[in-house]
Amino acid sequence: MNHLLRKFLLIPALFALAIPACSQKEEAAEVTQTSGDLAVLEWAGYDAADFWTDFKGKYPEAKVSFEIGSSDADVYGKMKAGTKADIFHAYTGWLQFYVDEGLVEEIDVSKLKNWDKVPESFRAMGRFNGKQYFLPWDWGFSSILYRTDKVKGSVDSWAALLDPKYKGHIATWDDGPGMVTVSSYIHHYDETNISAEQLSAIKAEWIKQRELNLFYWAGEPELIDGMANGDVWVAYGWQGTYATLLGKGVPVAYADPKEGRNSWVGLYGIRKGSPNKDLALRFLDEKLANATASNVVNQFYYGVANDEVMKSISDPTLKQAFSVDDPTVLQRTNFTPNLTARQRDDWTAMWTEVKAAP
Amino acid sequence: MHPRRATFWALYLPPVVWVGLFFLVPIVLMFALSFRADMQGDLLSLWRPSLDQYQAIFAIGSYWRLLAISIGMAFVVALASVALAYPVSFFLVFRAGRAAGLCLMILMIPFWTSFLLRVMSWKFLLGSEGVINSFLTYTKVIAEPLGGLLYSRNAVIITLIYVWIPFAALPIYAALQRIDSEMLESAADLGARPWASFWAVTFPLSLPGVLASFFMVFIPTVGEYVTPLLIGGSRGSMFGNIVQDFFTKAANWPRGAALSMVMLAVTMVLVAIAARLVNLRRLLE
Amino acid sequence: MTTLALSAAAPPRPRVLATYFVVLVVLLYLPLGVLLLFSFNAGTSLSFPLQDLTLHWYQRLFDSPEVLRAARNSIIVALCSGTAATVLGTAVSILLTRFRFRGESFLFALAMLPLVVPIVVLAVALLVLFLAIGIDRSLWTIAIGHTVVALPFVVLIVTARLAGFDRDLEDAAMDLGAHYPKVIAMIVLPLIAPAVISAWIVAFTVSLDEFALALFLAGNDATFPVYLFSQLRFASRLPVMIALAVLMMVGTLALVLLAEWIRRRGHRGQVN
Repeated sequence: MNHLLRKFLLIPALFALAIPACSQKEEAAEVTQTSGDLAVLEWAGYDAADFWTDFKGKYPEAKVSFEIGSSDADVYGKMKAGTKADIFHAYTGWLQFYVDEGLVEEIDVSKLKNWDKVPESFRAMGRFNGKQYFLPWDWGFSSILYRTDKVKGSVDSWAALLDPKYKGHIATWDDGPGMVTVSSYIHHYDETNISAEQLSAIKAEWIKQRELNLFYWAGEPELIDGMANGDVWVAYGWQGTYATLLGKGVPVAYADPKEGRNSWVGLYGIRKGSPNKDLALRFLDEKLANATASNVVNQFYYGVANDEVMKSISDPTLKQAFSVDDPTVLQRTNFTPNLTARQRDDWTAMWTEVKAAP
Repeated sequence: MHPRRATFWALYLPPVVWVGLFFLVPIVLMFALSFRADMQGDLLSLWRPSLDQYQAIFAIGSYWRLLAISIGMAFVVALASVALAYPVSFFLVFRAGRAAGLCLMILMIPFWTSFLLRVMSWKFLLGSEGVINSFLTYTKVIAEPLGGLLYSRNAVIITLIYVWIPFAALPIYAALQRIDSEMLESAADLGARPWASFWAVTFPLSLPGVLASFFMVFIPTVGEYVTPLLIGGSRGSMFGNIVQDFFTKAANWPRGAALSMVMLAVTMVLVAIAARLVNLRRLLE
Repeated sequence: MTTLALSAAAPPRPRVLATYFVVLVVLLYLPLGVLLLFSFNAGTSLSFPLQDLTLHWYQRLFDSPEVLRAARNSIIVALCSGTAATVLGTAVSILLTRFRFRGESFLFALAMLPLVVPIVVLAVALLVLFLAIGIDRSLWTIAIGHTVVALPFVVLIVTARLAGFDRDLEDAAMDLGAHYPKVIAMIVLPLIAPAVISAWIVAFTVSLDEFALALFLAGNDATFPVYLFSQLRFASRLPVMIALAVLMMVGTLALVLLAEWIRRRGHRGQVN
């Protein structure tokens, strides 16, 4: 085993020797980089030109290519495996590891022209140890989505996802940490400090919930179809699904549970060691620009960190989806905290045991 | 003898080198990865071997139970696929005549359409307000929509059988094709009734194809995860889903690697036992 | 040999088998029928009621270069990996059934192993390998992965045909002084040609719709399944995907039927 590994070490070692020779050239190129190749490790759908249209218009000589990551774990795995992407897109809860393991560059916000459109609360999400490592971009709520014609009364608590009344018509997100979060809202656990006994209780709770659950959704289209054709009455959902269903004329409501909604934020980071740091920074800057941000809102029905764009939303469907007219909603919203590597391993392993249980 | 020697190496080296480099080496890498305690640090650098992952896996009974269930499901799927595919192969060889090639293509073409799209349309057909249920409730055959058509273990088994039948037909088709029709004629001339000559002559001659087909379906189905993911619902997960989750949801490659090694070992043991029972070597000659 | 003798040797009621085949084909094509229906639907989701009928999506398809490129990529990868897998797999089959050597079980196990390993494991492992030795991911890396995965199918199909075939013809040819490679080319290959072709079709099919490997090993060029996956987030893009899938299926069917018609005409010409 060892000699095989040593053989694989040899190749990076050879590269490492070659790098100092190249770095001199890089220093000179960095300051005025407006062309070149940029590789982005991105989520499916966001590679479409609409979502970097400002950058495309401003830097036509730059070539952008995309590598698709299918989940936070996938993005993290690819970053660990040594992807050559310059930029990657991660979500709250999955940020700490990149900082701890030295995989992300610091962002020089003084070079960002659109930075002042980003509210402080969002800026803070990308800040670790006082340094800005990530640029907040897309965000959304997670709450309970329900069919108003199939559910009597209204839903006012996360416990609806575990309610036997809806047996066979519940669909929740296929995500362990997400479900730990839901349980901690219901039972008022401290999400950042879940003990082993609490985790066991959570596991037992979700194993029982499996009897009531129809399917775990991994992507929104599955949930949209399921709710549109009446199979699913109550679901854990993002507001993008809500807006889409409203647009289709399906009678749904998006709960404002007494424990508060959850919110997640997507952020961009620059991979440490990227040779295109300057161009990457410009890409990030243009991501916050108005046209790009508007496309996210209008096509994906997700929020953006660009406050100007958010304040100018006029479409009634979207206003309803974002609860724009009700500021108390945002106040009672719980933002996803960061996971440590240990928590991540424990909570994701817990979820596989839920799936494997008899 | 010499030309044969050279031929041997010309035939032997390319596949072995290819599979060696692009399969064995990655798998060995995975095997090594399973002895890593966690994902910390540079993945490609040396690490201290640890049995943490295996210890964790052995402690969790539900993983083993799921593996046993997956093996059981794979067995059922393989058996049913082969049984249902046999008449198809028979038809192709003995009935379709010169249209056999065309019929074969007709069987294969649906698989050139995206599986994802086909499953979406299956869900549309089988959903509780889908076409089949609507029809059955409309004609009052059933009172409530059938829930079990989707999102259950049985739905997974049925879907897998449905998807495997055309593939399972192929090794059997290949084996039936080499049956000398003269042998069948002689059997008929000697007065054997059709069914008798089938069981006495045709079926035994096609056995290598039947077994090849069985293993071709059984082995990959043990690790299947796409169909359970799309159709299984919350209770239809198979072992493959757990393995996949550790790679794509948990970012815990060492744990995923350890689980796959376990699955690999168990499947290989099963196949070795089966090969013994069936005396594969003798059949191949 | 007459058809009469054959039907006497086979189980009775021949029309049962034909019916069985037809029922199976109908079941296989049912979801495709649904897709065909919805490719003309103005709405964007697979649910009733149908909105207006339209050819709009097919038009949009031809205005979508990325969709067409993804389809083209899939076909290229499938052609290459299908051919590579067939060549390598046939070699293995010939070795297993025509040669006697010490590593026979090892070779068979090696050829079968890709079936046992879950594809996602192989995908990640190949990703790590390519990153470690510095090969950039591209359509070629996907093709390499697909070849590995398709190999067992080829070996099983060709071996099923080759096993038990008499070596008489080959031995006779060798007695007459033919070199073995020539024997393989002129005698063995034609004998197993139908199986090799079936195996190629299977290898091609396995690659065309393969998702897990393609997702992990893709560079800038995506194959159709990966592209479809990335577009599924947009409910509005779904109908164009469906239109493409339907077009590919109808196109292939048409080609196959055309080939059959030509063959029949040619045959009739020969008979006359």
